[in-house]
Amino acid sequence: MDTVFPFGFPGPTAFYLTLLVAVFMIHVLFMNYVLAGSAYLAAHTVLFGSADDGTPLSRILRDWLPFMLSAAITAGIAPLLFLQIVYRENFYTANLLLFYRWMAILPVLIAGFYLLYILKSKRIGHWPFVARAAVGVGAFAGFMFVAWSWVENHLLSVHPDVWVEQYASGVLVYRPFELFPRLALWVVGSFPTMALMLAWQVWWESRLDTGMPTAEQTRGAHRTAMIALIAIVLTSICAGAYSLLMPPAARDVVFSMLTLPYVILSVIGVTLELIAWVPQLRAGRLKLVWLSVATVGLMLHFCGMTVINESTRLAAIDISTRYAEHAASAKIGGRWAFGFFLLLNLGLMAYCIRLTSMRRPPEETIETPEKP
Amino acid sequence: MDLYYPVNTFGPAMKGMVLGGLGIFHVFLAMFAIGGGMLMCYFQWLAQTGRNPYARRFVDDYFKLLVLISFVVGAVTGVAMWFVSIQVSPRTIGMMVGEFHWVWGIEWTFFSLEITAGYCFYRYSKVLTDTARFRLLLIYAVASWFSLFWINGILSWQLTPGNWPETRWMWDGFFNPSFFPSLLFRTVTAMTVGSLVACVVINAVPWLDRPAKESLIHRAAHLLAPMALMPFLGAWFLFTMPPDSRAMALGGNITMTMFMGASIGASALIGLYALVGMLRQQLYINGATASLLCMLAFVATGGGEFVREGVRKPYSIRKTLYSNSVTQADVARLRKIGCVTNDPYPMRNPEQYPNEQLLLGAKVYRFHCSVCHTVNGANGLSELCSSWSTEQKRLNIAQLQRTKAFMPPFAGNNLELEALVQYVSWENANRPADWKETDDPAVLEQIQRWLDEVGVESGIVLEEHLTQGSTH
Repeated sequence: MDTVFPFGFPGPTAFYLTLLVAVFMIHVLFMNYVLAGSAYLAAHTVLFGSADDGTPLSRILRDWLPFMLSAAITAGIAPLLFLQIVYRENFYTANLLLFYRWMAILPVLIAGFYLLYILKSKRIGHWPFVARAAVGVGAFAGFMFVAWSWVENHLLSVHPDVWVEQYASGVLVYRPFELFPRLALWVVGSFPTMALMLAWQVWWESRLDTGMPTAEQTRGAHRTAMIALIAIVLTSICAGAYSLLMPPAARDVVFSMLTLPYVILSVIGVTLELIAWVPQLRAGRLKLVWLSVATVGLMLHFCGMTVINESTRLAAIDISTRYAEHAASAKIGGRWAFGFFLLLNLGLMAYCIRLTSMRRPPEETIETPEKP
Repeated sequence: MDLYYPVNTFGPAMKGMVLGGLGIFHVFLAMFAIGGGMLMCYFQWLAQTGRNPYARRFVDDYFKLLVLISFVVGAVTGVAMWFVSIQVSPRTIGMMVGEFHWVWGIEWTFFSLEITAGYCFYRYSKVLTDTARFRLLLIYAVASWFSLFWINGILSWQLTPGNWPETRWMWDGFFNPSFFPSLLFRTVTAMTVGSLVACVVINAVPWLDRPAKESLIHRAAHLLAPMALMPFLGAWFLFTMPPDSRAMALGGNITMTMFMGASIGASALIGLYALVGMLRQQLYINGATASLLCMLAFVATGGGEFVREGVRKPYSIRKTLYSNSVTQADVARLRKIGCVTNDPYPMRNPEQYPNEQLLLGAKVYRFHCSVCHTVNGANGLSELCSSWSTEQKRLNIAQLQRTKAFMPPFAGNNLELEALVQYVSWENANRPADWKETDDPAVLEQIQRWLDEVGVESGIVLEEHLTQGSTH
């Protein structure tokens, strides 16, 4: 633990750890949007129903959340894959110990998906208040359950000392003192990401319209900046509190040479985010330059936090017992094919997005009859 | 590789039933996604070449259904397959992931492409040019088919690993003997499912009148034409199977044979209806009929998947990992040290067992048998052994692979075997409060002789020895 992550590990272990962290960052990006976005929509649905709150935020969230959830699940498959390579025994054992509780996240995700589609539909505007609120809050509650289960699973996976007792008791809930502080950190930490992604979406809409933001977009800009700033401050407080509450071994690792550069990176990222959001809050206007600075800040913060997260896991698990397995996995063929298809398919994804600009002229008639 | 994990059970349901049930459901949805993609490409082409005036709008309606079902339930059940596999056999899924993680990774890139193309079409199709629509649908269809391509290699490897056990080269395992017949068979199945679901949707669309529906159904039925290849592809797949697995499917195991028969029968009915009703346009396919045909397709898919899973026994990965997640080398080692000696996980509620021997027997059952059997529910051990005498139980379990060739060899020592026999007998006797422990040295010696005599190889290998005239 006296060399900067991931250089102190043998090549194969460092390789898989780096991949795990990299793909996990992509997953967290979408996951944060879904978690914080559904929280915002739940509050909005309770307060306003489907009515307008004077900003474009709830409309954009309703429109994009189903896709973002799909993206979060799809992006979540890759870290799940490398998690099984790097920490197989720990991950599988935690899954098995939580059993039904753990498996419940899948139907809950399906229900959450459909609730988001209902929120997106126009029909919900005619529903009574209680039904609307139930849909909005239900979706958020589902994602909170998933978040809670993942945090619980993670904590159980890094505490092999409790496995036997947990199994013998037959209890399907694991509630160490770290659970709620850690969950709070993840939940609060999801808001700055959502705020930034929403801000980009508002900025893009204003660019597509007239180039000048409407009053609604200005209010939206103001609110995203407000959410981001409050959430960044709260996240920093939660992170500080959690670092005091976490096991001493984990805390020592966070401030060891393994992770310290990433702590600094994270602090730099947060500072950049703060610097970028304050002028946007004051002006009530989203500017490309400040959004770009906030994005760079968020990326640095993300990179720092995901490595810190990984290092707390490494503090609890003796990864050296897995070196031989990682070395064996690294010898298995297919990595160049993976690299090739990754690049090819990334290119095709970009091409798909480009294809969406091939619009039909508005005057062109469609020969499909409406009512034959 | 880690041997001991916490073991869970699903009450009276076999673990395989839970995994299989979910698997069949997921496979059907995946087939719908793949076949649906092909169908939409075809319909978009019909629309833009002026061959069918209703095709374009139908594509938009059908795609909404695809997104709502396949992108949601299909994607999440895909993740669920991983999670349930971990519950059933962490070692098996661990080996599958370990050996093929780059293939899973490649499949993930195609799935991501599929989702991207799909959502681009979903959001923007109504304002896009025909060229853009067709290209997006084509990318979607190709990406979803390639998802099948990669996963098919891993699944077929479990049954027919080819040269992989000797070379341990990933591509040897991936392009295994049943890879191509399985891939082509699944492709035809996907086209069938896509076509039949389209018939249901066409009937459900309120803006189409009868002639319009007929014209679309006739076009959708074109994707059923490749069903004519199914008998040949099925025969090819059977031919590539190991002889013992083929024998199980063709009468050696009546359950497998019946499921295969149900699958073939359901497919034949669909094929017949497709020929008479849809392709030759002799019959109109209404919503009820289309739904019934879809259900038949589900039965056919389920039957086929059941057989594919079942004929792998006694292995979960052929010639590598037995169905109870131990290797042949493990069996040899555990025969000496005991299979649960180092199992750190205790039995829950140990007070329910009258003595230590029964507690040990229950633990052996949990380690050795619970992946495929329950105690008193589906495929219940108690019921299966109820008519056996105690001596028979000892012999049959000691030489399990001879008792039934699809069973793995017993992987424990003689004390554990006797404990298991007593545990099963105690269950047969409705769990009386008092039960005497057995410790007759002559019995234990006899069990050991039986274990030594049969060895640690599978029943299939023993059969091969007998066929070749050698004695073991």
